[in-house]
This record gives sequence, structure tokens and C-alpha cells, in this order.
Amino acid sequence: MKNKKFVGTVMVPAMLHMFVFIVIPIVIGLVISFFNYNPLSSDNKFIGLENFVRLVQDADFRKALLNTLLFVLITVTLNIGIALVVAQMISWFKSNKVRSFFRMVFFLPCIAPMVATSVVFARSIFPTTTGFLNVALNKIGIDSINWLGDPKVVMISLIIYTIWVDVGYNVILFSAGIDGIPSYVYEAADLDGASEWVKFRKITWPLLGRSFQFVIVQTLISHFQMFAQFAVLILKDGPQNSGLVLSRYIYKMAFEYKDMGYASAVSLVLFVIIMTLSLIEQKKSAVDWEY
Amino acid sequence: MKMLKDKKNRKLRIISFVILFLAAIVFLAPYFWMLSNSFKSTKEILLEPTNMLPKQFTLDGYVKVITDSPFFRWMGNSLFVTVIDTLVVLFTSSLIGFVLSKYKFKLNKFLFYVILITMMMPTAAMMIPNFLLISKLGWYDKIISLVVPTFVNAFGIFLCKQFIDDMPKELFECAMLDNAGPFTIYRKIVLPGIRPALGSLTIFTFLGLWNDYQTPLIYLNSSENMTLPLAMSYFSTQHLSDLSATMAAASLIMIPASIVFIIFQKQFIKGITMTGMK
Repeated sequence: MKNKKFVGTVMVPAMLHMFVFIVIPIVIGLVISFFNYNPLSSDNKFIGLENFVRLVQDADFRKALLNTLLFVLITVTLNIGIALVVAQMISWFKSNKVRSFFRMVFFLPCIAPMVATSVVFARSIFPTTTGFLNVALNKIGIDSINWLGDPKVVMISLIIYTIWVDVGYNVILFSAGIDGIPSYVYEAADLDGASEWVKFRKITWPLLGRSFQFVIVQTLISHFQMFAQFAVLILKDGPQNSGLVLSRYIYKMAFEYKDMGYASAVSLVLFVIIMTLSLIEQKKSAVDWEY
Repeated sequence: MKMLKDKKNRKLRIISFVILFLAAIVFLAPYFWMLSNSFKSTKEILLEPTNMLPKQFTLDGYVKVITDSPFFRWMGNSLFVTVIDTLVVLFTSSLIGFVLSKYKFKLNKFLFYVILITMMMPTAAMMIPNFLLISKLGWYDKIISLVVPTFVNAFGIFLCKQFIDDMPKELFECAMLDNAGPFTIYRKIVLPGIRPALGSLTIFTFLGLWNDYQTPLIYLNSSENMTLPLAMSYFSTQHLSDLSATMAAASLIMIPASIVFIIFQKQFIKGITMTGMK
């Protein structure tokens, strides 16, 4: 169809909006990473690559990058593994009520604002003497753990919380994937006397493969950007910066220290990581959930 | 042989039921503990942490949230931003998706790629330039800063375009023969045709905006302008010593949304699996 007037009426304002709120910010972000930029100062000098040189030498940045990679690697692996097992277990039930009950329970935390659940975990679940976790551990005879105060434990606490809050998405996605596999495939395997493990390995796993990649990349992208729990669940990035991640570091540098030029250089690192992941995904786009 | 198999399957099902049931208890425990603590006094929470249920049931925490903070104002702000934006996003996404899908013009392909790239923009890496732009526009600490920038949603456009691509050509040809104008086609054919996509988009947009913390954190400053998630962290730092009120505030924010979810569970889950997006 053709209709210049209609196309123009719709697309011109839309493109204008995208130009102002997406293109301009990208340009600003790139440009100020070459400046010593403080929004409160009137003298913001061009300093070339100095911000990037500083990046390489900055121990806090290295710590944040390392923590981010560690957090993402462990959390995403656990998340995918648990989601897969749970989805498979749920699929064994014949009753729709049982299935949707379990799906609902695991998905419930995904609905809540992460700030609110972070506050609940910080003030009611993880505290050393009054927190639910230690109360429960003490009941079964295990000593209290300093979940938020011990630099070796902080990341583990953050991972536990993140699994709780986010695994439900992937449970739902994998569940849908498994349910989408036609039942006659399994019935044929039953006739051959295949065990549940063989069925999982030879049928579910390969047939799920297509959606699997998509889910992993999506989870990676979202976990690299997680912010709320690092800002709210732990205090001041945890003892010895043990819970400092890139998104928090950008925020801290930009909005607490007003060092926006440098923070933009840090942003660029995160930007490149996420864009790379997205481009990998684009290549394998067009995922459909039917079989 | 078959009987043996059935027996084995039953055992497997019982084991997985037990495991899932225990996992479900673990998953619900934080909700239970939050609610339980919200009905205790702070003194009871601190002195008798092993009480599973409140010994002395009290509503003081809730009373404090409602009288001590502009809670309903925060909720109003959240509703204002979320409802307006969701409606606008539904409108713009379907309209732009329609144009990109069915109209031939020079920049069509190019604009579609721009939208694809836009979808990948990581919000965490865009905090600073977004903030600078909002300040330059004079929108800092104004609620409009949360509303206008989200009017065009790349993911929404993409989703709607895909659905409109799949609609049969004949539908549109018939309408053209009848000399129907573009807005009539949009209203009479496109909108009813992509209802499932719009349903799923509503859920995503609504949840995304309702739960967003980072954007309001950067754009807003005064407490009366805050939306609920930002207000939650603000309230908890203002009432550091008042655990009971903090848990009451968290419950007030989390429970209504959870109930809505439980009621519309089926639609939610369908919406998520349909797009597979977060």
C-alpha cells in the first residue's frame, strides 16, 4: 500500500521522538566520555582518552568488572539449570491445576518491584539475628551466617536473592517449550522403554535447543544490567566493595561523585558487552515456540 | 513391563512433587515473613525473632505508612505514569507497526533496522546521557520526565509489526477496494487482528513501568513526585529503625500487584511465552 501523507503523519513524529530520546543521548554519552565532565562545573575540559587510561588503572573498576562477570556467570548458570529442572518436573504432572499452581509460585517474585523485595530481604530475611534465614538455620542446628556483613558471603547472598527473584521467568519459558513438544514423540519413546533421563537427553534437550539459546542470551543481558538489589539490598556496595558491580559503579561515579565523564567511559564498557550479546542474539532471531 | 514402568513413573512423580512442594515453600517464605513482620511491633521483631506469627497483632505499621508518608500520592503518581504510558505505547506501537508492515516508502527498511538496534539499547549504560538530556529539557524532578521519553517503544513496534505481517493480505485488499482510509483500516482491521499482541504488550509495559526504579531514581528528587518503587527505598531509609512500618510499606506495594497477577495468571503466562521477552 502507498499513502505518503499517512506514512508521514505517523513516521515523522515517531522518528523525531526516537532521535531526541535515543540518538541524542547516545551521542552525548560518547562525547562526554572524552571530557572531564562535571555537571556542576562550568569548565569541562576535553581530555582525550584520559578517562579510558584511568579505567585500566582503576582498582575499583577492575573489582566492579570482576564482580559483575562473576555474578552474571554464576547466577545465569544456576538460573538456567534450576529453571530447566523445575520446568521438567512440573511437566511430569498430568493435572493442569498442579502445573499452574507451581508455575504461579515460582513466577510470583518476578511480578514484585525488585526494590520492594530487596528491602524485604535486607531487613527481614538476611539480618544476622532477626532474619528469617538465620532463624530457620538455627532451628535445624546450623550457626548463624553474617549474610550482608562478611565480604566473602555478600555475593552469595546477592546470588540467592537474584535466583529467587528471577528464576520464574525462565521456568515459564522452559515450561512452555516443553509443553510445546508433541506428546506422540514421548509416547513413541515410551514404547521403546526409554527412561525419563534418556527422554530428557534425546528429546526434550535437542528440541528445546532453539529456544534455549534465546533464553540464555536474554538472561545474560538482563543480569549484566541488574541494579536494584546492588543499590538497595546491600549497604554501600558491601564491605570492601564486595558487592560492587558495573551498573552501581556507573551510578556512584556519575551521581554521587558527579564525575560524569569518567562514568561515561565505564558505561561504554557495559554498553559494548551488552551490544555484543544482543548482536549474537540478532543472528539467531526468529525464535518461535511452536514445534 | 508396562506395570513396572507405571510404578516407576509414579515414584518419580511423587519425588518431584515433594521437591517442588519444598521449593514452593522456600519461594513463598519471604512473602510470609514480610506479612508476618508487618503485623508485629518492631519491638517484637527485634526481641522475639523466632515468633513465626505475631504474638501481639498490630496494625501500627500500616497506620504509620499511611499517616506518616504521602503513600496515596505515590500510588497516584505510579498510576498516572503507568496508565498514560501504557495507553500511548499501545497506540504508537500498533500504528507504527502497521505503517512499517503494510506501507511502501523509501526509508521503510532503514527505519525498521533503526528500531531493531534501538531495542538493544542497554538502559544501565544510558543513565548519564538520559539524565543530561532530561536536565537540559528542564524536566528534572518533574513527573513528565517519566512519561514522555517512553512514548515510543521499539519492542512494542517490533511485536506489533510481526503480528501485522502475519495477517492475511486479502483483508487489507478488500478494505482498499472499499476505499477505506488508513485510520479506518487501522481501527477496523489492524487493532482487532493483533489483540493478543496488544494484551501481552500491555502486561510488559505496565509491569516494566510500575516496577521501574532506576529511571525515577535518576530523574526525580522531591518525595512528593516519587513513584512507588523509588518511594519504597526512600521510605525504608527514612524509617531505618522502624522495621514494622517498612514491612507494611513493602506489603502494601507488593500484595495488590500479586493479587492482580494471581487473578490474571493465565493471560500473564501466555503473554510472556508468546514473546519470550523480559
